[in-house]
Amino acid sequence: MTRDDGASMQLDWLQSLRDPAAVQGWSLAQWERVIRLARRLRLLGRLASVVQAPEVLMHVPPEAARHLRAELRYAAWRSGALAWALERLPAMLGDVPYPLVLLKGAAYMGQDLPIGRGRLPSDVDILVPREHLADAQARLQRAGWEETPLDAHDQRYYREWGHELPPMRHPLHGLELDLHHNILPPVARTHVDAALLLARLQPSRWPAWQVLCPVDQVLHSAAHLFHDSELRDRLRDLVDLDGLLRHFGAAPGFWDELAERALALGLQESLALALHFSARWLATPVPPALARSVAARGLPRWKAAWLLPLFEAVLWPTDPDRLPSRRQTLAANVLLVRHHLGRMPLTLLLPHLWHKMRTRPVSDPAMPAAGV
Amino acid sequence: MRETDHSASSLLRQGPESIQRQLAQDGLHLDLGLVRLRIRSSEASVARQLFEVYRHYVPLQDPCWCDLQVSLIRAQGLRSWLRPQVRFFADGAMNFDAFPADHGLPLLEWGVNWLIGRRMNDVLLLHAGTLERDGRALVMPALPGSGKSTLTAALSLRGWRLLSDEFGAFDPQAGAFRAVLKPVALKNESIGVIRSFDPGAELGPSFDKTRKGTVAHLAPSPSSVARVHEGARPGMLVLPRWQAGSPTLFEPVPPTAAFTSLAFNAFNYAVLGAEGFQAVTALVRAMPAWRLVYSDLEDATSKLLGLWQQQAWRPWPPLRPQEPGLPALAELGTSA
Repeated sequence: MTRDDGASMQLDWLQSLRDPAAVQGWSLAQWERVIRLARRLRLLGRLASVVQAPEVLMHVPPEAARHLRAELRYAAWRSGALAWALERLPAMLGDVPYPLVLLKGAAYMGQDLPIGRGRLPSDVDILVPREHLADAQARLQRAGWEETPLDAHDQRYYREWGHELPPMRHPLHGLELDLHHNILPPVARTHVDAALLLARLQPSRWPAWQVLCPVDQVLHSAAHLFHDSELRDRLRDLVDLDGLLRHFGAAPGFWDELAERALALGLQESLALALHFSARWLATPVPPALARSVAARGLPRWKAAWLLPLFEAVLWPTDPDRLPSRRQTLAANVLLVRHHLGRMPLTLLLPHLWHKMRTRPVSDPAMPAAGV
Repeated sequence: MRETDHSASSLLRQGPESIQRQLAQDGLHLDLGLVRLRIRSSEASVARQLFEVYRHYVPLQDPCWCDLQVSLIRAQGLRSWLRPQVRFFADGAMNFDAFPADHGLPLLEWGVNWLIGRRMNDVLLLHAGTLERDGRALVMPALPGSGKSTLTAALSLRGWRLLSDEFGAFDPQAGAFRAVLKPVALKNESIGVIRSFDPGAELGPSFDKTRKGTVAHLAPSPSSVARVHEGARPGMLVLPRWQAGSPTLFEPVPPTAAFTSLAFNAFNYAVLGAEGFQAVTALVRAMPAWRLVYSDLEDATSKLLGLWQQQAWRPWPPLRPQEPGLPALAELGTSA
């Protein structure tokens, strides 16, 4: 494989997610390439769900349609497993005197958002107020959810410096459960006041579950992407953002509220980055004046000058037949350092990295479990 | 009797250098029946290993479509100087741990099986050895200790057509099993057992100290390669168990036990939901099921043939064409 220097058109096909008719002119070779790329980016189920209408599907060659159908089944199965877990969790938690909040994919499903269709959920993300975190965890454990075994350092890392507990598993549920008390770590440079999030919850289609208000969902999605350590192949997060902005953006007052909320939560940089890439790569209809003011506050010119090229290099999806370019690898490493510095003060970070370096985990891959 | 390879362009005729050239350029394209596979690699050892175990395959020239696209690439970094390793990539993503550089074939086989099991949810994928005779499929689910690979390999050397050593790929639309033709992976003692069962068996190199011990692969025969697109209607279900010193015994298996042996040894039974349940139910109704306990492979294969020839096959709806036009995605629904 040669290295990818980004000269190809890896984003054009994304138009089909908004406008399914765009697939009509695709050749077999284009389909092959799109399916490979979309699969790696965890967007194949999304693509399959938008082209399943018979008038679109009749233009899809059978070689490709077969893979779309197969992935749609897989995504439907995973979504079903997520819904099944969400419908049973309230009973496992019992009658609790605090709100139970769905995040990310679970929240999209709980509101029947268009971006939830065909979306491959990774795990169950739920949020409770920090003062009730231990109680929620104890209740889940009594109901059979078990923490992933971790060493003492990792336990402490999650408990003191993290915004979520170690992932939990249940013998009857195929998905991992992440119990959050915030959307960003408490020691991070950007500190989010979770009380503000909890003050504006909204109902979901399940009475026991609530979701963040629309602007907070957008800001969470943006913060989740731009504060993460691993940014490669994260185009799906941008597609989520684009979908959220298109869906909620139609409501009157949404955009001004979004900018104000970013200021209140201290997430202006994440929002500015999100709007930049979403508008640039996915043609999200962001009001231009708002985009300018958010950028002016969240991403001043000196910062944009070095951050935007780095994020662009890392987020750009690599050609399926090429290795990441040296530029992309370098940019990923620079952003990783920035991520760590933003997440923890050096006095915590250096011992943490030292520990991670000595105990690098060895993954043990297995066949997709026969019998699951 | 060894079948002769009549194809002028099989890998055996092409030789390792030609294979290596294809691997390094646009890729080597192999038709496995259920899927078309493209392999790329710059490793000379991979070319030699493929030459051994895919010897009767005729590579496709410039196919306009491949279902799986994989690469075996030498791992980079300082450690690679001390311990050279090879990595498996699919579509630019690296999902698995590296293997020693000279273990390219086991990594490829294992990785491709993983991709098929995860991706090809358009058909029901049982975890089973599958062979064909008289247009019917013999299905042997992979129960622990069953030795299904040994028995699958042995039967494939006694005139049964190999469909797959790993997958019972049942297409409910067509009402037929499809081939997922790859070399049979033999482990540890099975390698010697098959070598003495048929001294002419076309076995590839042995790979020591893999995750499953020593592994060697049996090359599929020329006719199984040539007939890779011929499906097989449901025939018989056999649950084999090797037991030291035991005579060859057959005993009928009740449908409930047959059902669990299929459904709970599948890669995507749950993924297919109601359709998976209906397919397995239909299979159990159509296929007589037998438990087979044996110690002597020669005796087991000949008695199995005898049992097979006494079966009165139950009817199954006639085969429809393999590509039934556009699949109806709409019927599946997307939300939970």
